[in-house]
Amino acid sequence: MTWSKPEIREIEG
Amino acid sequence: MTIAPNEVPVIPRGVRLHHDRVRDKWVLLAPERVISLDPIGHAILLEIDGEQTFGIIVSTLAAKYAAPADQIAADAGEYIMGLAARRILELRT
Repeated sequence: MTWSKPEIREIEG
Repeated sequence: MTIAPNEVPVIPRGVRLHHDRVRDKWVLLAPERVISLDPIGHAILLEIDGEQTFGIIVSTLAAKYAAPADQIAADAGEYIMGLAARRILELRT
């Protein structure tokens, strides 16, 4: 696996 | 603002990694919040044990992914800072 910029994904109740 | 190499990221009490079997995804469970983790985010969180400094975490990930340490420091630092801003992680010195 290569490095990629991680993203914060907040799950919406 | 960046994270100093000697700072220690900590997963605070009440926050935990969880594997959602239904969706086969790793998530970070926090009070009233759920963060979906992509593979890189999960790899970063796995290195956070409350003892390793940010500098060591960056070195470990740089070796694991054969990527430049400065790129990893920038990306992982931004990720950790974003989670810290949401009070899902803490930084200690």
